[in-house]
Amino acid sequence: MNEELRRIWQQFYDWVVGNGPRPENEVVPEEPPPDLPFAQKPKDKYSRFHEATLKERYNQWLEIHGLHLFSVLYSGLSVLTCLVIVSLLLATVAELPPFGDERNPAHNEVIRRYVEHGGHETGAQNIVAGLILDYRAFDTFGESAVLFTAAVSVLMLLGASRRNSLKDDPSPHSDGEGWDFLNRGPPALRHHVFRQDDAILRGVATLSIPVIIMMGCVVVINGHLSPGGGFSGGAILSTALILAANAYGFERVHSFFNERTFIVSSSTALMIYALSKGYSFFTGANHIHSIIPKGTVGDILSGGLILPLNICVGLIVAGTLYGFYALFSEGDM
Amino acid sequence: MIRVIIGGLLMLAGLCVLGIATVGIFRFSTMLNRIHVAAKCDTMGALLVLSGLMVMSGLTVFSLKLALVIVFMWLCNPAASHLVARAEVRTNPELGKICDFIDLTEGEKTSDNS
Repeated sequence: MNEELRRIWQQFYDWVVGNGPRPENEVVPEEPPPDLPFAQKPKDKYSRFHEATLKERYNQWLEIHGLHLFSVLYSGLSVLTCLVIVSLLLATVAELPPFGDERNPAHNEVIRRYVEHGGHETGAQNIVAGLILDYRAFDTFGESAVLFTAAVSVLMLLGASRRNSLKDDPSPHSDGEGWDFLNRGPPALRHHVFRQDDAILRGVATLSIPVIIMMGCVVVINGHLSPGGGFSGGAILSTALILAANAYGFERVHSFFNERTFIVSSSTALMIYALSKGYSFFTGANHIHSIIPKGTVGDILSGGLILPLNICVGLIVAGTLYGFYALFSEGDM
Repeated sequence: MIRVIIGGLLMLAGLCVLGIATVGIFRFSTMLNRIHVAAKCDTMGALLVLSGLMVMSGLTVFSLKLALVIVFMWLCNPAASHLVARAEVRTNPELGKICDFIDLTEGEKTSDNS
């Protein structure tokens, strides 16, 4: 009885799958000619009564030739787009007035004012520093605030995912809710898969980090005397931090520059910037005598507010750039 | 005059090294060969070109700055090449098919065990 059932089931199974004995009057469809592009042999499972519909043929054709067609179209269109843009830009350049012509629209009284009176009005030897940190200081303030805001928002976004993971697995370092905003969780959560001690990198970093930090400080402090300033000096300082983090590990940098340090220093710098420059603009607009001395042009203590503002901008930029690196590689600062 | 000639010869030699290195970067197939050539380009080629400039400018502050640039490049460029090569060795699992390399960390592990 049992074997009978099994035999019937085997027959039924063969009939369903299509392995069974074929009836003698079965109509076998002709094999399509193999050299046509869309006439790929259909799969064995459906071979008996299968005829490819138009859509399936189209899909098969697309599978074979679609990538090629796409690449040809893509490269052709990109070459065309590049040619159009290049020709448009070249035509625009050809229409520009000649370089250095005195009737150019860029040569107006503003630039003459900067060049002729910039020295004794701002006290800075470097006209560009006087421009961006005295005449247009609010613009630079906005740029620093944008940098700081970007770093803080990345910090909050990456911290939110960390907080969620901490909520699932509560650790003694988080206070149940997971809202450890300034005091981050255990360092065991950080994974160092590929990082190992590298003697060569350590030696080079030991030699070069003091030089890099000195260079950054010189560029920041001499911002009103020579080319440079807060942005470039801050970038140099942040490379020193990144090199230290790569050579000695993030924990070593974390011990003196962590999230709290970054937030405190950056917001203090922004606050000092806003208050001092607000005072300077207030007195200047109301024709009140300002107590900030200009100093003699060319000294290191000259240029009025430019030196402290450069230091503020340098602090913000250094912290932000290092913060981006640490956040995106470690997820933590 | 003699200074210009010596400096020019040095710079020409540097340009030769740079040209050979540029050909090598495109000519070699694997990553480690290429990093080998690119490191030469930045050490030997830059050394020759910059020392040619130093000879041309004589004993001035400018040549002192150039010497510092040479020191910086000789310090940092080998380290950078080393790091790139290390990243390649760490992350390429099929490196053993191209070349033989000795896994130093494994030796340390066995020595630790014994």
